[in-house]
Amino acid sequence: MDYDAIVVGGGHAGIEACLALARIGYKTLLITQNLDSIGRLSCNPAIGGLSKGNIVREVDALGGEMAHLIDHSMIQYRILNRRRGPAVQAPRAQADKFTYARLAKETLEAQAKLALFMDTVVDILLDKEGKRIIGVKTERGHSISARVVVLTTGTFMDGRIFIGEYDAPHGRLDEPAAIGLGDALRKKGFPLGRMKTGTPARVRSSSLDFSKMEIQDGDPILMPFSFDYDSVERPMLPCHITWTNAKTHKIIQKNIHRSPLYGGKIVGLGPRYCPSIEDKVVRFPERDHHQIFVEPEGIGTEEMYLNGVSSSLPEDVQWDFIHSIVGLEEAEVMRPGYAVEYDYIDPLNLYPSLESMHVENLFIAGQTNGTSGYEEAACQGLLAGINAAQKLKGEKPLILARNEAYTGVLIDDLVTLGTEEPYRMFTSRAEYRLNLRHDSCDQRLTQKGYDVGLQTEENLMRLKAKLEKIEAVKDLLGKRRYGQKSAVEALKMPEVTMEHLQEVISELSEFEEPIRYQVELEVKYAGYINRQDRQISRFEKLESLEIPLDFDYDALDGLSTESREKLKKIRPHSVGQATRISGVRNGDIAILIVHVDKGGRNA
Amino acid sequence: MESYNRDDIIFALATPWAQSALAVIRVSGEGCRQLLSTSFSRPKALLEAKNATVVHGYLTDGPKGPVLDEVVVAVYTQGHGYTAEEALEFTCHGSLPGLRRILSSFKRLGMRNAEGGEFTFRAFLHGRMDLTQAEAVQELIASQSERSQALALSRLEGSLKQQIQASKEKLLTLLAHVEVQLDYAEDEVDDFTFPRQELEEIRQALALLSSTYAVGRLYGQGARIVLAGATNVGKSTLFNLLLKQDRSIVSDIKGTTRDYIEADCLIEGIPVRLYDTAGLRESLDTIESAGIQKTEQLIGQADLVIFLVDSSEVGHIPPKDERTLIVYSKSDLFKAPEGELAISAQSGHGIRALVAEIAKRLGAGFGSTGDELVIIESERQHLLLSGAAQALGRALTLVDTDVPLDIVAVELGEAMQNLGELTGEVTPADILTKIFSGFCVGK
Repeated sequence: MDYDAIVVGGGHAGIEACLALARIGYKTLLITQNLDSIGRLSCNPAIGGLSKGNIVREVDALGGEMAHLIDHSMIQYRILNRRRGPAVQAPRAQADKFTYARLAKETLEAQAKLALFMDTVVDILLDKEGKRIIGVKTERGHSISARVVVLTTGTFMDGRIFIGEYDAPHGRLDEPAAIGLGDALRKKGFPLGRMKTGTPARVRSSSLDFSKMEIQDGDPILMPFSFDYDSVERPMLPCHITWTNAKTHKIIQKNIHRSPLYGGKIVGLGPRYCPSIEDKVVRFPERDHHQIFVEPEGIGTEEMYLNGVSSSLPEDVQWDFIHSIVGLEEAEVMRPGYAVEYDYIDPLNLYPSLESMHVENLFIAGQTNGTSGYEEAACQGLLAGINAAQKLKGEKPLILARNEAYTGVLIDDLVTLGTEEPYRMFTSRAEYRLNLRHDSCDQRLTQKGYDVGLQTEENLMRLKAKLEKIEAVKDLLGKRRYGQKSAVEALKMPEVTMEHLQEVISELSEFEEPIRYQVELEVKYAGYINRQDRQISRFEKLESLEIPLDFDYDALDGLSTESREKLKKIRPHSVGQATRISGVRNGDIAILIVHVDKGGRNA
Repeated sequence: MESYNRDDIIFALATPWAQSALAVIRVSGEGCRQLLSTSFSRPKALLEAKNATVVHGYLTDGPKGPVLDEVVVAVYTQGHGYTAEEALEFTCHGSLPGLRRILSSFKRLGMRNAEGGEFTFRAFLHGRMDLTQAEAVQELIASQSERSQALALSRLEGSLKQQIQASKEKLLTLLAHVEVQLDYAEDEVDDFTFPRQELEEIRQALALLSSTYAVGRLYGQGARIVLAGATNVGKSTLFNLLLKQDRSIVSDIKGTTRDYIEADCLIEGIPVRLYDTAGLRESLDTIESAGIQKTEQLIGQADLVIFLVDSSEVGHIPPKDERTLIVYSKSDLFKAPEGELAISAQSGHGIRALVAEIAKRLGAGFGSTGDELVIIESERQHLLLSGAAQALGRALTLVDTDVPLDIVAVELGEAMQNLGELTGEVTPADILTKIFSGFCVGK
């Protein structure tokens, strides 16, 4: 064996996967088509956002890298949806995309046991029976062997970009796609499909009239994504907001027939939640304007990202509609927007460990599984890396529950329900979002990261200290008074905040903001948090009924044919997961409960 | 569930064990047709009958035995019929000795007497019905009056389902409005005002549905009416009069009805369980005072208490309320107070007015909307519906006190989950689909 593990692809999934494997102690090789493209932010120059910011912090708590990268490359930081409530607020940061990518590569280079190699994987190598992966084959003819392989191909597997009538075999604009791997996998029986995503044009900052736009600053206080340190110092840049108008929409409508989407050139399904501007104009004709965020791509560049007008219309149309927008009349378009279509592998073919059912020791993560987003890719890459390492160790995979992490929700959704469009995380996908707050990711996950060999002793101690401080603040509030009530009781009232208490109880200022924040949430919403905890304990009952991977559904009498076929295909790891498979009936679940309860074997 | 064996042939009388013109015996299980064809005058016709057809013939007591009855057999092949197993339904004559002979003959053939609910369980196992349906079937079997049967049937056809579905659909739309605010950043979506009025309307619809549970229970299980009053006031006479049959001991001796006697009857089509109680009187007799305690217990649980007062010797009279009717007895001998209900158990005077009053009281508050109302009968459905209505009530309070939207969403989600348990789950994917189809979102 050349390596213990090979990771294919140097995007956000690949970075986490190879770092996890190497850090746990396995000799790992990262193969990427271009060493200069590691950690690229191909679309918007931002990390985090609602539920995505939570994922970044989950990755961090488990021992992943994404939070460190954004903490040291951010150029604006905001907590979104503060007023909407504790469960849905989340951090988002604008990134200097060049700094981000450079840091990513430096981190990989500094990692012991990790080798980097530039080549393109065109096939996977299987053992004689064709059941287990033993390595990969590259374009330049190398056969490299490894005990486990993690596949993170992003948009590059048979990728093709579209700009109006123009199309080219690229994974990103002017970066060649990985041609051949998709076909090789198809031949080996993997269920592949096509998906589509898109990105807007980049314009030159000095050609824009910002005075006509609304300015959007970040929060004055900057908080790190990572739990490993308490503060970061970064320069802050503003974003700007402008709007499309009737003229913009008219230009798009007049040229809609020239879109590769409407002309039928693209077959892959795009994301409904992130439609192109032509999609928005067609689907919501009653709206006379759409919002555009003008976001800097970095400090050392003039490129500005036009968030809200992703498009695959021909370049002349893009030019025209961009110039119809207030503030962008004289805009110099530096890169056009485009759509990209690529191969993905149906995630229903994965176990919850992200290991392929089709080929043993092959783990798959990121856009290859039909997801979208840097954060979604990173958390899968991390779990694929961890579980590949668990496989090498001969230990049980780490499967996060839906009540533990958005990462758990994401993977459970993927392997149980599959996805028809690029899957993006939303807070509403989680049943227990009060429990999945970003401020408490470390409390749920740091220990798990430590158990698999990724987290450090030092971070465990940090967590312990944090918990002690939280208790200390609660104690303090219990002892002190605010008005007629104890401070704890007062804090439960909607109109009283921690800031109010701080004015009266000066010792509170000795504690860090995240500590005060968490106590405030826990006290204020205790009733709801307790209620959710009770729901969770009911939920966990079915989750805890494990179904062996070799469970024989054919021997189970009384199952409906439809349910039997679905259960055989998905192979749920618990009765809880089985209940979430669409089309599996309650009656069949009842039968399943009766049988797995009897020691997990067919009765 | 585990106590039922699932692969043998079961049989049971599907109609009540009572003398009647016709009776139906149901048989279910793989191989039942083959087995019973040996005791049937036209075995070939029975074996070759298609699904959902009937065969006429004679049942014999075992192969070539004496004829038991002339019957019509409805045939269901596997995958069809109530249980979705191979099944037969024998319509035979409803004489009790005749039925007894048939059933014991079936037993000798090697089939098993079905346990209560076992046919329904098999139907459920074969995916024939969802939980709402299974419950409806159970109640259909247990229901006592004609009106109740009509209700149970209409539920099977899904009118309850439709009404809940309608509320669920409205709630889903509302939830999508809320969730889009939570799924996207405040600067990405349009300004938002909470649709308070819509929420209140959904809450009211659910509360109304859930309030019909009391009526449903009345028709399904029968109302409890307790006859109370001092000893020797004529309770037993009235009891018998209401039952129109001699079930109780009627005599002049006080305290004859030492504990209590109960009987079922119909009053204006409402099934009623009538209790004749021991007289309320301090007694040294220990058996009798135990009976009095029991009476007080029964009164506590009653849907309606008829408190009889002797017109000649008016003693303690409890306060009138919606659950208590004061009725003056022996009105043929003494004049009752003006405007009060009065009866003469001897002459039957006033009984008709009393019966009308009883029916009015039992149906109080529900009568006017009666026919269009879908009525909830099962405890589970009632709990889920009232739980949903309560959660929406709490959500309204939260909205009014400016509690953050994601907390409000917890209550909305709970209501949605309750409705989902009644008519099929709503998944996060359903909500997202609603969001994406209705809102222009995404940067």
